[in-house]
Amino acid sequence: MATFWDIFHLLTETPIFFVAIIGLTWGIMGGALPGISASITMALVLPFTYAMDPAQAIALLACVYIGAEYGGSIPAILIRTPGTNSSAATVIDGYEMNRQGRAGEALGISLMSGVVGSLFGLAMLILLTEPLSWLALAFTPASYFGLGILGLSVIASMSGGSLIKGLCAATVGLMISTVGTDPISGVTRFTFDVPDLIGGIEPVLVMVGLFALTELMSQSGSVGMARLNASIRIKLPSWQMMNKLKRSQFIGCILGLFEGLTPGGGGSIAAFMSYNEARRWSKTPQLFGKGSEEGVAAPETANNTVASTAMIPLLSFGIPSSNSTAVLLGGLLMHGLIPGPRLFEQSAQVIDSIYVGSFIAIIAQIGVGIVILPACIWLVNRPRHYRAGFIFALILSGIYTLNNSLFDLGIALGLGVVGFFMRLARFPVLPMILGVVLGHMVESSYRRSLVLSGGDLRVFLEDPIAVALLSLALIFIVFSLAREIRDARKAKLKEAHS
Amino acid sequence: MSIIKMIGKAATGLAALALLSSGPAFAEPAAYPVKVVTLVTHSSPGGGSDVFLREMTKYLGKYINATFVVENVQGGSGAKAMARVASAPADGSVFYATTPTYIYTSLMSKPQSTYKDMQPLVNFFLDSEVIFTRTDGPFKSLKDVIDHAKKERGKWGAANPASLERQAAEQLKRVAGVNAAIVTHEGGGDMMLNVMNGTLDIGIGEIQELRSQLDAGKIKLLATFNPERIVDKPDVPTVKESGFDVSFVKFRGLAGPKGLADATAAIWDKAVIEVLNDPEYKKAYSAEVLVAKPIDHKEYPGFVNNFATTTEEFLKTTGAIK
Repeated sequence: MATFWDIFHLLTETPIFFVAIIGLTWGIMGGALPGISASITMALVLPFTYAMDPAQAIALLACVYIGAEYGGSIPAILIRTPGTNSSAATVIDGYEMNRQGRAGEALGISLMSGVVGSLFGLAMLILLTEPLSWLALAFTPASYFGLGILGLSVIASMSGGSLIKGLCAATVGLMISTVGTDPISGVTRFTFDVPDLIGGIEPVLVMVGLFALTELMSQSGSVGMARLNASIRIKLPSWQMMNKLKRSQFIGCILGLFEGLTPGGGGSIAAFMSYNEARRWSKTPQLFGKGSEEGVAAPETANNTVASTAMIPLLSFGIPSSNSTAVLLGGLLMHGLIPGPRLFEQSAQVIDSIYVGSFIAIIAQIGVGIVILPACIWLVNRPRHYRAGFIFALILSGIYTLNNSLFDLGIALGLGVVGFFMRLARFPVLPMILGVVLGHMVESSYRRSLVLSGGDLRVFLEDPIAVALLSLALIFIVFSLAREIRDARKAKLKEAHS
Repeated sequence: MSIIKMIGKAATGLAALALLSSGPAFAEPAAYPVKVVTLVTHSSPGGGSDVFLREMTKYLGKYINATFVVENVQGGSGAKAMARVASAPADGSVFYATTPTYIYTSLMSKPQSTYKDMQPLVNFFLDSEVIFTRTDGPFKSLKDVIDHAKKERGKWGAANPASLERQAAEQLKRVAGVNAAIVTHEGGGDMMLNVMNGTLDIGIGEIQELRSQLDAGKIKLLATFNPERIVDKPDVPTVKESGFDVSFVKFRGLAGPKGLADATAAIWDKAVIEVLNDPEYKKAYSAEVLVAKPIDHKEYPGFVNNFATTTEEFLKTTGAIK
């Protein structure tokens, strides 16, 4: 453990300060561009870190990660396009708030919730790496299956009224996730000999297609939708507001902590689940989906917490729990640093600079946010025809840079059309996105468990974590069903009375 | 990826500058027909082949008079990278970083361009494939693992689905005549957790991915699939020495478009030997437990084709391909 003097010394050294700010700003920009995920943003700076001092290089990458996780929420709120997978849940209420002319408020809430989540995650990373890292070890393939199913159970309450339609959409999502290389045997499935499909369909294509392109299409069909938010000011939440958001931020912190520890959706499970939980525990659950502040705060706290806690299994075992931490691992290895318990003893300076750099970046996030966000709001408030063209170009170029592939563009555009008709027929898109994000993990851990047990399904009942997660999922589903039936009855009664 | 390419260029430029200013006076590097050589890899920045190329190009400039650029062409487990290289001009300006992955992808996914559309150039290294288990587990040797699998069903992990590790595990199972579930993962990290928490008896993977836990003493090596013992780990027997006639080589080399001039290839033959003997590079790659295994352009095609034939037969017998 570093002494406070060491940390103070590092803090007052100029390079780490600049490194943190540069990393953060780059991260926010990359994260905010649709199609450029947190991991790509990090990968782009990786070659630059070659010539740098290892401690600064790693701190830079960590700060880029923090920035990118936050940046993803900006387009989610402003143009209905999650910049990163984990900000998909933010779209629901964030974009709704924007439509109500409360973009500045939504961005302020996501900024401060991000800071809360990051600080909590960093505190966990500094104080509890050792005990928490052992939790990661307790997860067997069966437990991962439980986790994936728990994530999918959220569908029940995210189907926007019609469970049947929600399940249909989720099934299509799960089907999309099976395209590509089979995770267990390695044979290719549903690729129709198209080489672009060997690697599968990336969730980001589905998100951009279903959220953003669909929105652009419907907007261009509607006549003169008035832009309400004339103000481009960022409104940071007041103390009263922060107090109101306390509960949802707490939920985000806890779920983010767990997701960070376990390899999986890279923040998306935590974001969706905390959105769902925040609604369950909220005093005003009816506002969710209609521009609820808590609906922005919960997922934003969760995905920012993950950016710090995902470093716990990385630094203590060298196990990356997401694509982003895999890039960070690459950065460590490039500088000859081998993650593991000995890293903390041998390269204490690197660890300290990760802590210090992250801390600076988190605090600086408020300042950088206040500076750049008004410009972003201004940009999306231009006359609609310019704006739509600009967003369209931005999104498509983002998608193209992902793999330099025109094929990907076709997929995203095709899904945009699918999304448009889903919207017309009132099919919810969120279950479909959840299906795509989680399908792979659910399938591979299910099959891996069965290979281990020789096809015996009891493997899921013998693992205590799996049992706990699966029972939770069952409880969620039953409750949601009960609620839906109750609501339907109420509606019927009302109809009968009127 | 064009931005990465640009940054890669900048980075190599920087590295070259650093070499120029700090390196002691070496012999003049060999003249080369093109100024810029692009080395393509299917791995993402920071991934296995990417790190190998970026490390190696730091030193290669001393022996070949060209600027080396690493280009990441991800997607399709190498299918895109192979297409990129196979259609490039055969003037020595574009090469592909080969690993067994490109053979597996060629055989299993049947992409437009396969390993047959490229010409293997030279080999640099062998990666050490090892069998490992958790230190506080019940297994002290490979024999214990096999004995256990004779009594009840063994649980063995392989790092990737269609991979050398998987093939190694299947072969070992067959040669030893035991019953074991072979569980494939997506990357070594995922598998490491399952070995450490006891879900798996053993894991089969590359030694590079195990270093942190090996250093920490949480896992130990039981055997290596290499034909010979690993120099740095003289106590670890080979699988063959343990009584099971299975051995594998995971190669790391370069392949290029077909029709490369013999004279250009000969420059590489010489440079490979020189760079592998470079004292600084030797220090760096020995630390990563890479085994230097230079193979020149005359023998490398035979080596790779031999590997491909064996693999194809294996995949056919297991029913993975027809």
